[in-house]
Amino acid sequence: MKELEKTKRISIASTLFILVVLIGLLTYKRPKNTYALNTKSTLENLSNNNYFASLNEVSNKDYVLVDIRSAYEFEKGHLENAINIHTPDFLNEDNLSIFKEIKETNKTVILYGKNPEEVNLPFLLLYQLGYDNMKLLTVKLDYYQNKLITKNCDVEISKADVAAFINESVKKQADAMKKANIKITTKPKTTTTPKKVIPIRKKKKMPTEGGC
Amino acid sequence: MVKKRIAKILSFRYVMMAAILVVLAGGLVLLPKYEKSEGIPAEQLLSNIISLERYVSTDQISEKIISQDPSFILIDVRNEKSYNTYTLPNAINIPLKNLLDEKFEAYLNQDQFDILFFSDDNFYADQAWAICNRLEYKNLHVLKGGINKWFTTIINPQKPLENSAAKEFELYTTRKAASMFYGVVYPDQAKIKSVAKKTPRKIITVKKKKKMPTEGGC
Repeated sequence: MKELEKTKRISIASTLFILVVLIGLLTYKRPKNTYALNTKSTLENLSNNNYFASLNEVSNKDYVLVDIRSAYEFEKGHLENAINIHTPDFLNEDNLSIFKEIKETNKTVILYGKNPEEVNLPFLLLYQLGYDNMKLLTVKLDYYQNKLITKNCDVEISKADVAAFINESVKKQADAMKKANIKITTKPKTTTTPKKVIPIRKKKKMPTEGGC
Repeated sequence: MVKKRIAKILSFRYVMMAAILVVLAGGLVLLPKYEKSEGIPAEQLLSNIISLERYVSTDQISEKIISQDPSFILIDVRNEKSYNTYTLPNAINIPLKNLLDEKFEAYLNQDQFDILFFSDDNFYADQAWAICNRLEYKNLHVLKGGINKWFTTIINPQKPLENSAAKEFELYTTRKAASMFYGVVYPDQAKIKSVAKKTPRKIITVKKKKKMPTEGGC
């Protein structure tokens, strides 16, 4: 009988233990939206894939236009056949199911907003969540007499050569000085200043390595 | 007989328990799946994206550079070629595709300095920001408008119209003075130039001093 009691106690303890583990497992909170890509692969995909669409591709039947501006702006004017999903509402269940549906039907979502910069990060968020059928419309929206105007635009174009501009201003001044017969010797120094940064970099690495 | 039967039932119970434990252990194998989603939850990332706190204006940053504020790092996310042609003073080049390289992590993942990303516009800088933000790096900022805005506001400020407010004229003179600091020479200014050129050197010595305390170990 003694042995029986012992086994009874053990079995009670073990069932309790299992119960605790079960409860723990059941209450484990699964994050609602999980990323499909980690940061490294996101970065890789960003630099390898073309995720821009231009205005003349919009008429493609496999494309679904999504306006990410607020409902007010959407009402004021929007592209043809576009649906409105405001950025802050992206992760609502209804909207996520819309995105899912579009993905299942193998169509491409084209996101657009006031300018490409505005769409950039919302696009990136959905992309990281696994909606890889996304593209970004490089378009600028404007209003002229309450009418919506669309304009194709480029992303990240260097509009001015700053170094050339500075050099030219220095040159102009030098020419003026020559006329006035004054010598300038300090000219080239301005252009070399950025290079001086290099020694700092090397030293920066040291502290992080430091230990005892 | 009774004892035997009880023993039989009990042994069955043990088998069951063992089976349950094995199943639970199997469940643990599935758990690491969620670890793949590194970084902050998507909801938080979205709210960070919507907030425009990350943007810093060109005037603010120009003032900081001139006053030799050592508390921030400028990071140029453009490619090496454009970095070599022109970049902001003392900026570090981390091309966007190399952002997560190990050698750059020390710059990005720390809480001593403010980090300011910039590119030609703020498109790529924003992307760099979003990725670092997801990894919970601290003190991240983006230069609003990037180099293009930098050029139109600081390097080549437009003279306000004669009938515009006094404030705009004030802004114009500060910007003009700032552009002289960055090496632009105006026809109506001659001697100030030599003073302006010496200042960039000083920045470096200031930074060196800053580094000493961080080296400290024990």
